[in-house]
Amino acid sequence: MKPTRADRGSRALAAALVERRVLVVCGSGGVGKTTTAAALALQAALEGRQVLVCTIDPARRLATSLGLASLEGRPRRLDLTRVAPRAAGTLWAMTLDTRRTFDAIVEKHASSEAARRRILDNRFYRQVSSALAGSHEYMAMEKLLELSADERFDLVVLDTPPTRHALDFLEAPDRLMGFLDTSVLRWFLKPYFVAGRLTLKVATRTGAFALELADRFLGLQFLQDLSEFFLAFEGMYEGFKERAAKVHELLRGEDSGFVLVAGPARATLDEARYFYRRLREKDMTFVGLIVNRVHPDPMADAGPVPRRPAPVDADLARALLRLMEDQGRVARRERRGIARLEGEVAEPLILVPELDADVHDLRGLLQIGELVLGGGRVRPRPRRRNAELQAQGRR
Amino acid sequence: MLLDDLLSRRLVILSGKGGTGKSVVGTALALAAGERGKRVLLVEIDAPLEASRYLGAEPVGTREAEVRPGLFTVNLDPAAVMDEYVRSVVRVDLLARRVLQSPVYRRFFAAAPGLPELMVLGKIMVLEEARASRFSARPRYDLIVVDAPATGHGLSFLKVPLAASRAVPVGPIGHNARRILAMLQDAARTALVLVAVPEEMAVVEAQELRDAAVEELGIAPAALVLNQCHQRRFTGEQEAEILRLVAEGASGRLARGVGLRSALAAARRHLRRRKLTQFYQARLRRTLPLPTVTLPYLFDEDIGPSSIERLARRLEAA
Repeated sequence: MKPTRADRGSRALAAALVERRVLVVCGSGGVGKTTTAAALALQAALEGRQVLVCTIDPARRLATSLGLASLEGRPRRLDLTRVAPRAAGTLWAMTLDTRRTFDAIVEKHASSEAARRRILDNRFYRQVSSALAGSHEYMAMEKLLELSADERFDLVVLDTPPTRHALDFLEAPDRLMGFLDTSVLRWFLKPYFVAGRLTLKVATRTGAFALELADRFLGLQFLQDLSEFFLAFEGMYEGFKERAAKVHELLRGEDSGFVLVAGPARATLDEARYFYRRLREKDMTFVGLIVNRVHPDPMADAGPVPRRPAPVDADLARALLRLMEDQGRVARRERRGIARLEGEVAEPLILVPELDADVHDLRGLLQIGELVLGGGRVRPRPRRRNAELQAQGRR
Repeated sequence: MLLDDLLSRRLVILSGKGGTGKSVVGTALALAAGERGKRVLLVEIDAPLEASRYLGAEPVGTREAEVRPGLFTVNLDPAAVMDEYVRSVVRVDLLARRVLQSPVYRRFFAAAPGLPELMVLGKIMVLEEARASRFSARPRYDLIVVDAPATGHGLSFLKVPLAASRAVPVGPIGHNARRILAMLQDAARTALVLVAVPEEMAVVEAQELRDAAVEELGIAPAALVLNQCHQRRFTGEQEAEILRLVAEGASGRLARGVGLRSALAAARRHLRRRKLTQFYQARLRRTLPLPTVTLPYLFDEDIGPSSIERLARRLEAA
């Protein structure tokens, strides 16, 4: 049988699950990105890979997807025996703990014990490392590098926060490199900011001008704190820069692939188009484009309609027809948006129908995975295991 | 009732999981407030300009624009807000341009965690405090509705003033961060409204958001909007009849070209979604006892002005 366009999409994704080492799953919020990431990770584990799925979204959605009350900041192996007793691989899951990751980097890379204490005790560091939006992206980047080198895993599936923020993540290495590269840092490391040594006797007129402006915007106290913060990290900058450059390379390398997930609503499809363009500009490779939760058209695949009238009264018939009209309008609305996305992308889309129930356990993830990979599996699984899985699913 | 309460405040912040329809709810709320004669500003943050499209207007940029009489929208882009702030501090145009063009400024702003969020919240505070004119005590806007980023990041968005005031206790940053925090915590001025849909993850996030807002920020959410609810369409007898027909595998012609089987499949989908709606409504009543308004799932072929008007009427009636 000739493969359909959708089958080709599934097939490419199935191949990536077997071949790549890093899969980044991105898309806007509420499209089932976390669920998709977990479902793909589970499929890869069934194929025999040692898989880690990691979410950098601070809302603990993955935990819900995996039926766990909470996930810790370190990888935890999941018990697959109930859904796939003969899974050849293993599945691990974790969420990113920004503060702990940051602390670990300081522990590992600080030049001395004194430097380490100076950072960990810095008031600014304590807030930046745990609370501020934006630090998540830097730490996710560091963590991704660490995990991709971890020998326990041969595939890391990374879930990302909603679209614009996922871009933040992808751009984080470049932003950090830009920051560490320019005079910005040197500027903050100048002695006139350092507490106790603050003299307004600045050598150049430009310097004096810049200082005066900075005071008006930000306040000298802030600049002193910031300067101290940056000084405390002295000696670690080369390391930060090197790692950022490595992530930059990793995300563009042959071992990495991106899976873009969208929902059928117009707003999320529009965002997917925007995201697709931006990623292509950045030379990143797509291995899958998924539209989740597509509503079926009640009139599609209706089959032949019998001649004999349906055994229902007029009121019920009217209510049923109204419902079908309503659902049909939703299906048409979604189809228009999907067609617009389809017209702009080179790869075939994978459409996943809306399920009757919410997915928040391994069994549901299994079902989603089968739907996503559907006709496109690279090599057929042994018959027996397939039958077993189906039996499990029914139970 | 609910609308009265919200309209008595100056600032309504909508927060919840992505995909819960915060933009639609925010637009409907702004419209409902406008219908009551209020001057309303709807704020989107670094957004793909959805609100104006829902209202059938041209996309709105980073300047406030009146899309309907008394209803304004604006899209706050953090970088543009920061530039505006620089211009207001450095009054000499040439000097401002030098700052804005300097790579130090650009890269520092791009790389500093929390700064974009703080700038956006600062701008919202400025808008909240703005007077109609220099000689008037009347505020420029009676109500500001903010479509906040999705939770996870939505919460770190609201956490920024607290973190900034702790990190930098003195100076203009700490001072402004404390003023923003005071505005957010003042229940007479600000209402935090949670938005959810009847699905497991959205409901869990709404609960998490409530807990974190109360415990970490000292902000008690004012209301919950449960969006995309599937409403009852069949009588109890009809539902029983549908289930019986499904079990029997009944078939036949319902109308020209329409078979009973497809209709029953559609009905079953509806009944399952309706059941989930009821289940989560009951659970939220128990676990998130806030004033709640439910909004219907929209079956419109295009989500446009008439859809938003219908939701606005529902908010008005709640």
